[in-house]
Amino acid sequence: MLSTTKKLENTGFSFDNCLRNRFLEKNGFISPKGKKTGTTIAGVIFKDGVVLGSDTRATDDTIVADKNCEKIHYLNKNMYCCGAGTAADTFQVTSMVSSNLELHRLNSGRPVPVIVACRMLKQMLFRYQGYVGAALILGGVDNTGSHLYCIYPHGSSDRLPYTTMGSGSLAAMAVFESKWKPDLSENEAKELVKDAIAAGIFNDLGSGSNVDICVIRKDSVEYIRPYECLNEKGIKRGNYKYKKGSTALLQSHTIALHLEEEIIQTINDGSSMDTS
Amino acid sequence: MFLTRSEYDRGVNTFSPEGRLFQIEYAIEAIKLGSTAIGICTSEGVVLAVEKRITSPLMEATTKEKIVEVDKHIGCAVSGLMADSRTMIDRARIECQNHWFTYDERITVESCAQAVSNLAIQFGDSDDDGAAMSRPFGVAILFAGCDEKGPQLFHMDPSGTSFQYDAKAIGSGSEGAQQSLQESYNRSMTLKEAITLILTILKQVMEEKLNSNNVEVVTVTPDKLFHMFSKEELDQALENVTPLIKDEGEASTSRK
Amino acid sequence: MILANTESNSSLKSHNTRFNPYDDNGGSIVAIGGDDFVVIASDTRLSTGFSIYSRNQSKLFKLSKKSILGSSGCWCDTLTLTRLLNARMQMYLHEHNKEMNTPALAQMLSTMLYYKRFFPYYVSNILAGIESDGSGWIYSYDPIGNVEKCKFRAGGSSGVLLQPLLDNQIMLSNLQNIDEQPLSLEKAIKIIQDVFTSAAERDIYTGDEIRIMSITADCFKEEKIQMRKD
Repeated sequence: MLSTTKKLENTGFSFDNCLRNRFLEKNGFISPKGKKTGTTIAGVIFKDGVVLGSDTRATDDTIVADKNCEKIHYLNKNMYCCGAGTAADTFQVTSMVSSNLELHRLNSGRPVPVIVACRMLKQMLFRYQGYVGAALILGGVDNTGSHLYCIYPHGSSDRLPYTTMGSGSLAAMAVFESKWKPDLSENEAKELVKDAIAAGIFNDLGSGSNVDICVIRKDSVEYIRPYECLNEKGIKRGNYKYKKGSTALLQSHTIALHLEEEIIQTINDGSSMDTS
Repeated sequence: MFLTRSEYDRGVNTFSPEGRLFQIEYAIEAIKLGSTAIGICTSEGVVLAVEKRITSPLMEATTKEKIVEVDKHIGCAVSGLMADSRTMIDRARIECQNHWFTYDERITVESCAQAVSNLAIQFGDSDDDGAAMSRPFGVAILFAGCDEKGPQLFHMDPSGTSFQYDAKAIGSGSEGAQQSLQESYNRSMTLKEAITLILTILKQVMEEKLNSNNVEVVTVTPDKLFHMFSKEELDQALENVTPLIKDEGEASTSRK
Repeated sequence: MILANTESNSSLKSHNTRFNPYDDNGGSIVAIGGDDFVVIASDTRLSTGFSIYSRNQSKLFKLSKKSILGSSGCWCDTLTLTRLLNARMQMYLHEHNKEMNTPALAQMLSTMLYYKRFFPYYVSNILAGIESDGSGWIYSYDPIGNVEKCKFRAGGSSGVLLQPLLDNQIMLSNLQNIDEQPLSLEKAIKIIQDVFTSAAERDIYTGDEIRIMSITADCFKEEKIQMRKD
């Protein structure tokens, strides 16, 4: 039967060109790669909540694409998620899950447990078998307490008191392993996360610039961006302002413009004017 | 020397009890059978001259090449076994080109002479590739050239020894010619004077009568570099020689 | 020129790729030659992949009184090449009784690189030298010995970022109505410092410190300047 009604678009990814692209690649075509953020992200649980931290460098191969990007993503009022890996994937996954969490909160009428977010994220990542390249650190506080999860691109997860992810994870974890202790105070936790991120910033070339920190407590969130600027831009010694008229003129072409001016003058008698 | 000759003169790798290598000394003697070659170095340039022995009127004189261009700025005059000289000249030319290829500059005359000296002593037992010469080369060479240090003249003999000279003669007439050079050379002489002197001396020591067919003259100057005299240039140069000979007579030994 | 595939994540697919003897250890070189001076600079970061080997490794080699080589790329090749260069220069000194001058050195380096045409030294070389007339010149090389004599050059990991800046600031390309003044050593050093500051902002393989060496008729100078370290 012929249908005249417009079919609703399918949800999810379009795989239309997969076969074509596989054929092209077999014949030597190099397909474009997504932007990977070499990254340092970290999180710890402290006495009254969770501290998440990240660097702010986004790289495109060996070039710094963004010197101050945001890597701690909002999920819900009581939870945030740091993302490492393919920039588009971390952003889309967290914002999609954020939408679903909000729907869940409205449906259930209570703060969403952090484990729900964890389950949503890992199920989504597992579905795409690692092709959605997001490595995440999920932190939040709910009615059952403070939670910190580490979620890998293939869909596995760990529940941990402190964790790191991204290309700078080894540098950051080295700091945690030497300084972490149970029941940290908020300030201690913030300084510890900062030190861990700083280790990533200085020792991992994929990470750089500033430290962002997000503190999630029972009833409040404090997003500090930047928490600390560790790398100031160098000062230029020369003057690179160009004098007016110094740009090389390659070609010039003049178009005569004919203007016709029409002046309409309205004469008021004064009575209609409102001068109040 | 011939009195002490013994079986020690057979091998090139055996010293005599007096500490001599007879084969090398014989090779040096072989030079004295060669045609005379003379070189004079002045501040304006170096001049080389050799006699060409035309052994038969049927011989094509121009094919007897005794002064050769080794590089744009270096010329060599050889005396002795001509066949051996080919090998040495080839080596000199290769060294010059290698130097230019590797360093993009002209090799110095000294380095060129030194490189050929290294070849001259590579005789005796065959080396790994079996390319070594079985006997010393029977050749002496005069290297004339202009490099960053200016005009220079070097002499190398079959033992591989090389020295710089202001003026040097090799070959059969070398003893008389060297004597004449010693008496007449001075460092302030011009190139033109040197050409006249070199031809004058050559004329004295040659058995045949000197003419533009049996002599080869080359100058190496900083601006023209290697330059072989044409027949016309030779005739012109020889004109300056004749009066001196007439003045001083055939028995004269030197020019005042 | 395209070298062998130097994919950074070659270890991931090592089951079907051959051993790759090359590494890219990063680093940038900038050199400027003037009428009576030459100046060359490098950063001091030595790295591989996403990690840093050293924050304190100059890539400049003073080869003679009149010439300095800047060499970046595969560091082990740089080490071998510079040792071989020093040996060859020593041999030249003994064989020819004189120090090698800059053009001779430039030519020798070219032949040494081309000698390994089919297993190249994976390095980007920039040779800065004073010539016999006292003027400063830069010779820049590709890994297999192509050489170009010029007045200024940027090379290494951020070479492509910096060269257009130098073209504009030194050659005054794309500019008009500017009175061209001869470049002074002080101005050249200022430009070098600023281009490195820019490179450190955007190239992950450039940073930590700059080493600047300059040669004039009567003096040799070296200075260090700090850069960002992330």
